[in-house]
Amino acid sequence: MTATTLTLGIPSKGRLMEATAALFAKAGHGLERVGNDRGYRGRLSGLDGIEVAFLSASEIAGQLREGKIALGVTGEDLLRENIPPTDDCADVALRLGFGPANVVVAVPECWLDVAAMADLEEVAEQFYRSHGRRIRVATKYVHLTRRWFAAHGVTGYRIVDSSGATEGAPAAGLAELIVDITTTGSTLKANHLRILEDGVILESCAVLAARREVLSEARVQVLIRALSKAL
Amino acid sequence: MAGRSSAEREALARQNAAIMAVFERAGFDHIAPDIIQPADIFLERSGEDIRARTFVFSDPDGNELCLRPDLTVPACRYHLSHAGDVSAEARYCYLGTAFRFPDELLSPQEFNQAGIEWFGDSDPVGAEARVMKLTIAALEAAGLARLKVTMGDLGLFNALINSMDMPDRWRRRLKHQFWRPAAFRALLERFTRPSAVKRTAISAHVDAMAGKDPEQAAGALISELGLPHVTDRSVAEIAARLSEKLADRSEAPLAADMVRVIETYLAIEGSVTDVVADLARLPSSPALDGARRWFEARIEALEDQGLNPRRFHFSANFGRELEYYTGLVFQIEVEARNAPLVVAGGGRYNDLLLDLGAPRRVPAVGCAIHTERVKAVLA
Repeated sequence: MTATTLTLGIPSKGRLMEATAALFAKAGHGLERVGNDRGYRGRLSGLDGIEVAFLSASEIAGQLREGKIALGVTGEDLLRENIPPTDDCADVALRLGFGPANVVVAVPECWLDVAAMADLEEVAEQFYRSHGRRIRVATKYVHLTRRWFAAHGVTGYRIVDSSGATEGAPAAGLAELIVDITTTGSTLKANHLRILEDGVILESCAVLAARREVLSEARVQVLIRALSKAL
Repeated sequence: MAGRSSAEREALARQNAAIMAVFERAGFDHIAPDIIQPADIFLERSGEDIRARTFVFSDPDGNELCLRPDLTVPACRYHLSHAGDVSAEARYCYLGTAFRFPDELLSPQEFNQAGIEWFGDSDPVGAEARVMKLTIAALEAAGLARLKVTMGDLGLFNALINSMDMPDRWRRRLKHQFWRPAAFRALLERFTRPSAVKRTAISAHVDAMAGKDPEQAAGALISELGLPHVTDRSVAEIAARLSEKLADRSEAPLAADMVRVIETYLAIEGSVTDVVADLARLPSSPALDGARRWFEARIEALEDQGLNPRRFHFSANFGRELEYYTGLVFQIEVEARNAPLVVAGGGRYNDLLLDLGAPRRVPAVGCAIHTERVKAVLA
């Protein structure tokens, strides 16, 4: 009998949930929904001491950071957005490979003079001089954007929070450029946006993330080994 | 700690009364700028790092407002709305709460700032020395001793760059990137080998500008590629940068000895009186000679105020994080339990009032004291 049960957060629906369920089944630890709270709680077959919580995909990284769950399957983009690199409370235990997508910086295609991040700071300065306001970056990745722009010496911008249809923000006049997630780039293309040459912030995929303090526990190691064999 | 006890409140109030008495006795008008400010004024003028730390909210009409993250801009706005002639000399002091999201453990989200702002000063070095003297006197009135004063001078850097032979757009870029040492170094490197810039996805667009009217050529290219025009960036702005890139390709490289002079300057640090000799070794030019005279006159003005600038530290690099300053920058630290703690800072910011809507440039110099830090050091 293990001391405390660890909670593993799994997306409650969608393709990420389906791919996760398939991988866990293949690894020999299928997801089983149980309990009074039917539908939102579960266990892993053949592995004691880990209970499953079916959560909204957007909550998992935040709950990991707060220590409400010890393990979670989520997109690396959401993990990195919610847990800064300076905070070592939780990290990627295993990259699961599915759900690949890149978080990118994209500018209007008609900006013929902009190839890379280094151009952006000059554009920001020029834009401020001629329009009296900062260029705006629409994104839901506020922290990833700040860190990436700071690392590239780009400071003269404002972030506009955008939780849906970010790629439409420049055409709608709500922002000058965007930071967003893309799989094939076709949505960006359709909105006449182009990814900067050094504008890939993160090559994301689904990951199993773990709180640092549980990473070395035997049951967690069993799960990681089983999943990595099944990949 | 959700608030202060009556004893803590009284102790801070007593300390701050001593600080404000110094400013008021010196003839500074004690004003109370608004706490709630239009958000844009702050957000458009500071980098995303400050924006990230500003409390922003909306009023019922949808206007973006913020809690002031600092009192300098609110004092400027007070001046612009109250002064009959915004260029006429005005001297203000204030004591008020500023609000910022904490950026590190233990940094408070609300704190009391005491400060002075001197607008339209007619004796520049005299005003600068006076502001430094009053800041030091106020800190001493609060009970602090053994203050460590660090100074920088953006006037020297600007004069150095202005005195060098290079295209104006390079000067503008170097001054702009002064705040970001790594980007500054990369830029300097690029200017020493302008033709060696590697080709990128947009190099062909730069090629297309050759021998043509840039705006027409860029417009033609955009319609030829069938690209819709989105955002407020005009074709003229896009064309201007393309033709700058074209011009850069054939520009004479920045001479190696000039790069050395810039690097030599940026490495200068030491006692304010000692670095005069280091500055004297930089090549002569009207702009730089003027800035050096200004620097030396400021030393005399500091002595006239009864200060000992020999004990002040100068660093050419200092001020690289404080974006709106245009000349003198200074900060004052005190040795605290583990590490030195910055308790005050200030400098000259001659562009801010113009930027906020004044009809012309109005000289300005000021300082701000972080009063809770002073209290913490004294505790």
